[in-house]
Amino acid sequence: MNSQTFPVRDDNHPTPNQALPEDNSPATPGLSDPEKWVDLHGEYLFKYALMRLRDPAKAEDAVQETFLAALKGGKTFAGRSAEKSWLVGILKNKIFDHYRKASRETSFTDLDFYADEESDRFVADGLGKGGWIHELGPIEWSSNPGVGLDNEVFWKTFHDCAGKLPKNVSAVFCLREMDDVDSKEICAKLDISESNLWVMLHRARMALRRCLETNWFGKQ
Amino acid sequence: MNWLAKIFRALSPNCKEAIRLQSDALDRPLSRMQRIGLRIHLALCVWCSRYGKQIKFLRAAARHCDDGHETKQILPPEARDRIKRRLQAEIDK
Repeated sequence: MNSQTFPVRDDNHPTPNQALPEDNSPATPGLSDPEKWVDLHGEYLFKYALMRLRDPAKAEDAVQETFLAALKGGKTFAGRSAEKSWLVGILKNKIFDHYRKASRETSFTDLDFYADEESDRFVADGLGKGGWIHELGPIEWSSNPGVGLDNEVFWKTFHDCAGKLPKNVSAVFCLREMDDVDSKEICAKLDISESNLWVMLHRARMALRRCLETNWFGKQ
Repeated sequence: MNWLAKIFRALSPNCKEAIRLQSDALDRPLSRMQRIGLRIHLALCVWCSRYGKQIKFLRAAARHCDDGHETKQILPPEARDRIKRRLQAEIDK
């Protein structure tokens, strides 16, 4: 009997053994080895963070912090995409932490920026006060500005322009416009008033619009 | 008469006010008075109408930022290794 059962077991064993590396993943569905995370998701997370923090060193830190936090909160996943969005969720919080830190370091009312830089485009006095000085008013952007979205040079211009915003203003612009975070949530998390937020967003749009008009649409 | 003056002000924003209102409209609902005033202004002002379209375009563009065609910058190999080592140290603990 023994001689019969052993061969059977021996026959059975090699199969699970060979399958073990793959078999591991179904046991914890799709969870990739934390060491492989960096290869799988590092690039995406880094770009995501860099876009929002505009500082490669800070973006690297945020990615590392994300992986470490993920390690502590170890989870299992149905698939790689679920793992990725889980990691992005953690990264978002890390980015918020950076924004909060930035808001503590520099006052959220950046005076240089609030010095009304567009005022030179408006009539200062008299009957037309507060109206555009006609030749300085917004120009017509190419009939279908959407075409710019496929253009690498457009994106470079866009990011260069956005990069000129003061950090705090850039932070709220990213949260509101890139990530579609609700005004109230931004205010609560960054501890600023709504009216302050609206002024900052107005200034950000104004500055970015002007920069794009000068450096992209005006040159088309 | 003060309230009448206020209504008149609200119904006839100048360009500076009109661009601010258009920005605000992207983040909060405007009051009825503000909406009417803005609509009247935009019907008459080509610059502010363009401005409104353009800041909406900024939003649309910003939401496409992650689509890949952005920064060419990649996670530097040194950083990649450093993060891996840090993770490994954490695992070994």
